[in-house]
Amino acid sequence: MPVRKILKDTCILAALMILAVFTCSIIWSGLTAEITLVLSLFLLALIITVVNFLFDEFLSLSILVSYILKYFVFTGIVMLFGFIAGWFFPSNFWMAFIYVGIVLALAFAIDAFRVNRDIGYINEHIRSNKSQSQNRADLT
Amino acid sequence: MKIVTRQVTDKPLTVTIEYPELTESVKGLVKRIEKLDVSFSASSDDKQMRIALSDVYYLENVDRKVFLYTKGDVFRLDSSMADIEKAAEDSDLVRISRTCIMNTMHLTGIRQLKNSHLEAELDNGEKLIVSRKYLRDIKRRF
Repeated sequence: MPVRKILKDTCILAALMILAVFTCSIIWSGLTAEITLVLSLFLLALIITVVNFLFDEFLSLSILVSYILKYFVFTGIVMLFGFIAGWFFPSNFWMAFIYVGIVLALAFAIDAFRVNRDIGYINEHIRSNKSQSQNRADLT
Repeated sequence: MKIVTRQVTDKPLTVTIEYPELTESVKGLVKRIEKLDVSFSASSDDKQMRIALSDVYYLENVDRKVFLYTKGDVFRLDSSMADIEKAAEDSDLVRISRTCIMNTMHLTGIRQLKNSHLEAELDNGEKLIVSRKYLRDIKRRF
């Protein structure tokens, strides 16, 4: 789908631009607070992506249970990372539940929609392949 | 392109390609058919035999041992799952979970269960659990 490819390529290009610009900035002026924040976000994204990969690779849970479990694990990671990076005050650490919740709710909706669409696509092709081979058998 | 199929008993499966000129597309077609002619060396009760790809329903890794399932039999393979995937590249074999590779040739449908697990049904009635992660790989085979 071209729209998805364009969006994906845009995100990758944006990430590369950020990294390239920040690398130059670090060389010229050292680490600033903004650069540290963005690099921390990249590191957090890497940790979450690795944990998500391990979840999908080694656990075979239902979609809902999997997302609930991911919600608590990812929130825990964001909280821990946020405390280490100094993002949260002790009074507002619960904000991590909201941030992670919003991202996972969107991911869950997209995942559920995509699974249904892919199942429909596969079953439709199985049906059409079957009727094609049936027609061929009838002809011969 | 005209496709003609006919049953000829007492002869192994034979594909004959008739062409007016040996073009790149004909060579490509031959190459693709050759890739489908994959077979696995398997054992059952200390007997070694070769199982054609078309007879394979699925392969499963259980306790680091790979088992090959046909319509009604189970065989033991010496290869690893990675070797199998490599040998059967561009074939109808596709990984459906960390421990299972399925032959989409025998797939009759996929459905989502009430607990939102995915289940693939094969033409021998056997049902396999599909990991959501590999659903897109199955889709690419169609």
